[in-house]
Amino acid sequence: MTEELRIGVFICHCGINIGGVVDVPAVVEYASTLENVVHAERNLYTCSSDGLESIKSAINEYELNRVVVASCTPRTHEPLFRATCEEAGLNRYLFEFVNIRDQCSWVHMHELEKATEKAKDLVRMGVAKAALLEPLEELTSEVTPSAVVIGAGISGMTAALSIAKNGFHVHLIEKKREMGGMLRRLYKLYPTEELAAEFLEQRIKAVEEHERVELHLSASIKAVEGYVGKFKVILDENGAEKSIDTGVIIVATGAKEFEPEGLYEYDGEKVITQLQLEEKLKRGDSKLDGIENVVMIQCAGARGEVVGYCSKICCMNAIKNAKLIKEANPDINVFIAHNELQAYGEEYELYYRDAKKAGVRFLRFPLERRPKVIKSEGKLVVDVFHERLQMNIPLEADLVVLSVPLVQNPDAEKLSKMLKVPLGQDKFFFEAHVKLRPVDFATDGIFLCGTAQGPKDIEESISQGYAAASRATIPLAKGYVSSEAIISSVDEAICVGCGICESVCPYGAVEVVETEEGRRAKVTGVKCKGCGTCGSSCIKRAIKMHHFTDEQLIAQERTALVTEEVVS
Amino acid sequence: MEKISDIINRTKAFYCVDCGKCTSACPLSRFGDYSPDGLVERALLGLPVQPDLRIWSCLTCNRCKEVCTYGVEYPEFIRGIRSLEEKEKGVCAHGELYSLMKLFTFTHEREQKRLNWVSEDLKVSNKGDILYFTGCLPYFDIVFRDLGVDTVEIARSTVKILNKLGISPVVMNNEVCCGHDLFWNGDLETFKKLAAINIQNIKDTGAKKVIFSCPEGYRTFKLDYPEFFDFDFEVVHISEFLSEKIEEGKIELRKIDEKVTYHDSCRLGRHLGVYDAPRRVISEIAKEFVEMESNRENSLCCGTSGWTNCDGFSEEIRKERLKECTDAGAKIMVTSCPKCLIHFKCHMSNRKGEYDIEIVPFEVLVARAMGVV
Amino acid sequence: MKDRAVLVIGGGVAGMQAAFDLAEAGIKVCLVERTLSIGGRMAQLDKTFPTNDCAICILAPKMMDCYRHENIEVLTLSEVTAIEGEIGSFKVKIRRKPRFVDEAKCNGCGDCARVCPMGILNKFDMDLRVRSGAYIPFMQAVPLIYALDRDKCMRCGLCEAVCGKDAIRYDQKPEIVERNVSAIIVAIGFDPLDPSGLTEYGYGRYDNVITALEFERLICAAGPTGGHVIRKDGKEVKRIAWIQCVGARDTRDNRPYCCSVCCMHATKEAILTKEHYPEAATFVLYTDLRCFGKGFQEYVNRAEDDYEVKYIRGKPGEIREKENKNLEIFYSPSSDRVEKLEVDMVVLSTALIPSEGVEALAEILGTELDKYKFFKLKDSYNPTETTRAGIFVAGYCQAPRDIPECIAHGSATASRAMEVVLGGSYDRRA
Repeated sequence: MTEELRIGVFICHCGINIGGVVDVPAVVEYASTLENVVHAERNLYTCSSDGLESIKSAINEYELNRVVVASCTPRTHEPLFRATCEEAGLNRYLFEFVNIRDQCSWVHMHELEKATEKAKDLVRMGVAKAALLEPLEELTSEVTPSAVVIGAGISGMTAALSIAKNGFHVHLIEKKREMGGMLRRLYKLYPTEELAAEFLEQRIKAVEEHERVELHLSASIKAVEGYVGKFKVILDENGAEKSIDTGVIIVATGAKEFEPEGLYEYDGEKVITQLQLEEKLKRGDSKLDGIENVVMIQCAGARGEVVGYCSKICCMNAIKNAKLIKEANPDINVFIAHNELQAYGEEYELYYRDAKKAGVRFLRFPLERRPKVIKSEGKLVVDVFHERLQMNIPLEADLVVLSVPLVQNPDAEKLSKMLKVPLGQDKFFFEAHVKLRPVDFATDGIFLCGTAQGPKDIEESISQGYAAASRATIPLAKGYVSSEAIISSVDEAICVGCGICESVCPYGAVEVVETEEGRRAKVTGVKCKGCGTCGSSCIKRAIKMHHFTDEQLIAQERTALVTEEVVS
Repeated sequence: MEKISDIINRTKAFYCVDCGKCTSACPLSRFGDYSPDGLVERALLGLPVQPDLRIWSCLTCNRCKEVCTYGVEYPEFIRGIRSLEEKEKGVCAHGELYSLMKLFTFTHEREQKRLNWVSEDLKVSNKGDILYFTGCLPYFDIVFRDLGVDTVEIARSTVKILNKLGISPVVMNNEVCCGHDLFWNGDLETFKKLAAINIQNIKDTGAKKVIFSCPEGYRTFKLDYPEFFDFDFEVVHISEFLSEKIEEGKIELRKIDEKVTYHDSCRLGRHLGVYDAPRRVISEIAKEFVEMESNRENSLCCGTSGWTNCDGFSEEIRKERLKECTDAGAKIMVTSCPKCLIHFKCHMSNRKGEYDIEIVPFEVLVARAMGVV
Repeated sequence: MKDRAVLVIGGGVAGMQAAFDLAEAGIKVCLVERTLSIGGRMAQLDKTFPTNDCAICILAPKMMDCYRHENIEVLTLSEVTAIEGEIGSFKVKIRRKPRFVDEAKCNGCGDCARVCPMGILNKFDMDLRVRSGAYIPFMQAVPLIYALDRDKCMRCGLCEAVCGKDAIRYDQKPEIVERNVSAIIVAIGFDPLDPSGLTEYGYGRYDNVITALEFERLICAAGPTGGHVIRKDGKEVKRIAWIQCVGARDTRDNRPYCCSVCCMHATKEAILTKEHYPEAATFVLYTDLRCFGKGFQEYVNRAEDDYEVKYIRGKPGEIREKENKNLEIFYSPSSDRVEKLEVDMVVLSTALIPSEGVEALAEILGTELDKYKFFKLKDSYNPTETTRAGIFVAGYCQAPRDIPECIAHGSATASRAMEVVLGGSYDRRA
């Protein structure tokens, strides 16, 4: 048996902010005539302690079981009014907010009567919805206090070590036999020119020595189950299967160098990539004996040639290698043919200047006229169209170095499917929000860092590694995750298991599972963010989006669109 | 002899990012196809720097250096490249004048009479603390008399101003050319010889302070001589000297009832950064002082420097500058440099009646206001 | 007993992110902000690249989340004046300037602002709009508490009379509060350079040469002109040019660095212009177009292909004003020519420089700055820790970076502070 509805309505003057335009007493009078409304009052400021007290006392005095406040915006004030209801013993979701400031007094500042009429309409709609509100509860779930970091390159190592230092156990998973990732192949680092091997050695040592970091080398991910706080990661570690329970997962799988097959006469010997040059220099061949002219070509395969994006690090990497060659052997002519030189930030611009001072020469070509490598009788000529001088400059070369972009690892797609996290158009892992959530995935409990997210230098990879560590530490430190109370649920009696909801859910919260009745959609409450996408896409109307149910919204719309005369 | 790589390193030309800012600020590039960064870029890539005679077009006005955000010293680069070239390769607008200057340069055997301009009403000395370095002024007077240029007036005004302040400056009969034009046209060898003579002769007078009316001479003494020689006398431009005296309240000036503007010469302005001193003095004299559209560090050149290359482009630059003066509503344009004076007067003399502007040398304006001429 | 709390200095995106992460992990945070509202520079932007998200729309919820968080104490109008102690136990003195309004009572209704007779240029709007003497810097300010500008106030009493909450306090005095914290995060952001000194571009001399941040306020629908790009003479613009690296990559005034964000920022402003005025012509004059971040090249491609933004490689050497107040830009697209571009507005992408007062703060904190006044790092490649143990640095004040990098950096320093507070780690090795 449903209880008797007893709705209280509180209309705010907000000083003269609302009261100066909207006829508040008239709205109060109108509200008190609405069905189920047992109390209506106005407050100079409903949000003041006086106003809040009067809500609480009205709840008790009139035995209110629904509260409507018509005032400013839920953005700033909904949490306050919800908390007030709760203090008076009412479930916080039995509260409805009506915005008569932004939507009435502000936008209809010069039409007082219309503003008042609209306020009445909005209050009527709010009351109609309030009548159908249901109490809701937030769910909480415990968190396994450990983390999994996939990939032991510089960003993954940084993340793992920081989480360990924050006091939690970390499983660091690396597919290769050793940690270090791309850094293992580098000679020296820009802009300090310290040896990559030495830099790496210290960091590997720190990771290895930390008691809370558990290393899994030569290990690959076979499967991932669960959700934030309760993931299970199945590993193949040296041929043996292992299962790890973890609260959070960080993706730090890195990237690889693009292979310029078929471009610029690439042959791996006279025409090589920067990484191949790097390995040459690392072998102690930095004097490049017998070589007089080196020409580097930027954006080889990037920015529209093969991939669309700029790979961020190639300009600085070329500058570094060019400078190292020039300093080791000043007689070698080193040219860098580029389009837009990406020596961004503070230190890189200075380093670029140092390279110019060291004698590295730069030529800018237009992107639509990229350099050509001409090979004849064992000789190489790089023909560069000099944009500023508007002329072709043929550069003889004994060694051509292609600055190729970083591209996604081929196995990223498999991992993205296992984790149910997306890849972007450029095939890099796609974060929750390009601007505001650079190291989160939309799915709770899974984070990303380093070049898996897109090309970036060492410093930024480290910064992201720490950032992912911070984000991942939050649920571990809290010990629990709480879900929204406003989530969706599936009526299994209606659901036909078509899977549309699963495909549209941005958070991986809906899954179609086998039940005794057949295939049915299932919502994992802690994953759900209450966005409602599943509900609106369900063709059988089997999904209920709580607090925004069809019944509630239809009641609101009906009372908005149907005039009283017709109703009565 | 310098190599081109030395010049690149010395003038920091390797920093050039060929953004073209210098070119778009260059008064010459505006009218011709000259490009400071274009020349530098060629040099950096080992291409010939002068397929034509463009290195001789540069006005060395420092506008490019002033706007460059990478610290490239383009004018110095050009000077360096010029010094690599065979002498006399430059095209001189006033070839005869340039040759004459070179002829006057050496006074080993024959003594010149360099003080004929010193009239009886001027008080000068042979020895003393303050010396006035006159420069080439007295010679221009002869060459450009038909333009209505009276450069001797500048020298005389300067001495009269000093006399009024109770100073009888030392002037030297054995003064030689400061070497400015030779220096900028690449003849470093002769330049150094001249510098040595001047420095020794000044030392002999016992002067502690050397005053200049000519910005080119001033720049040469202030920036270039110290590169090669040591000396301990102070050098100062007459505008700086007078500005100080005004601050001390030692000068009385009559106001003139005209709108006056000031043309920064490149040597005094961008080369030496002396912008405020002449303005300080002129503001005391003019009823209204106005700035032209381009002024101070953005000032437009008079169009010719070091007697090289006066052509149609130079004329365009002067036209532009005089238009700025007209637009500003000024009736008097004060110049600090005798060469600017000559160039503007030359332009105006070919276009009689087109301009309602009087070009007045700074020293002459001050002398008038002090009532000494 | 170590203090389980962290001080965050600066309430921009980086500082807010650091504070929020720490608070979520159960750590008490004191967030000190110098101005009236948290939000920082991002709040001043209209949209953000490369997604064209409305800046304040995506930022405001973050500001509220921060302000409302039970573990975060937000102190606005406040500055750190002294610190004592060391990593694990810093004692911090904070000077709170008076708002002249009782923070506990004001509910942000704005009645005081409506009656105040004073008109003062609003700094948040880059001095392009007049605000009242009783004010919040912008509509979405957090906290939504008014303040009186007592420098200009005549104490006429109108605000006091109208305030229904009895919140006006003319005689409020500054106070010093003390907090004990384990670690400190500095995130004080940047200031835009005043380009008046770069006389070749005529800023301050020519009416229609403005800065990129000024343009941002003009194109913003909530800005002083309601989103219309209007010149001082009332004309709406038809041709606009952006000039890049104004005061940046410039050795003349010891600012050789690249500010990292301006190429994309200008691209965004050009796109917004075209969205607002499809018939307008937009030009970006640059030296190197730095479109290195995720989605940036694609954004530039879109600007060129879909919005017809014209990118011109060539840094202008001079701007001249015409009689009709239009501007002629001189630039050289190739070494054999100089071109003249006439526009009705020039927007200068000025350098973004370390905030005013950075030296004084560094002195108080006992941390070193580099020669361009960015916070110096203890270790290269580890951008989180300053030269003093327990003091971390986030965002632009460490080196130029864009919003997502500042946010990641904010989180990064939060993890470093967690290492101290949660893990008790005072080991300064990487």
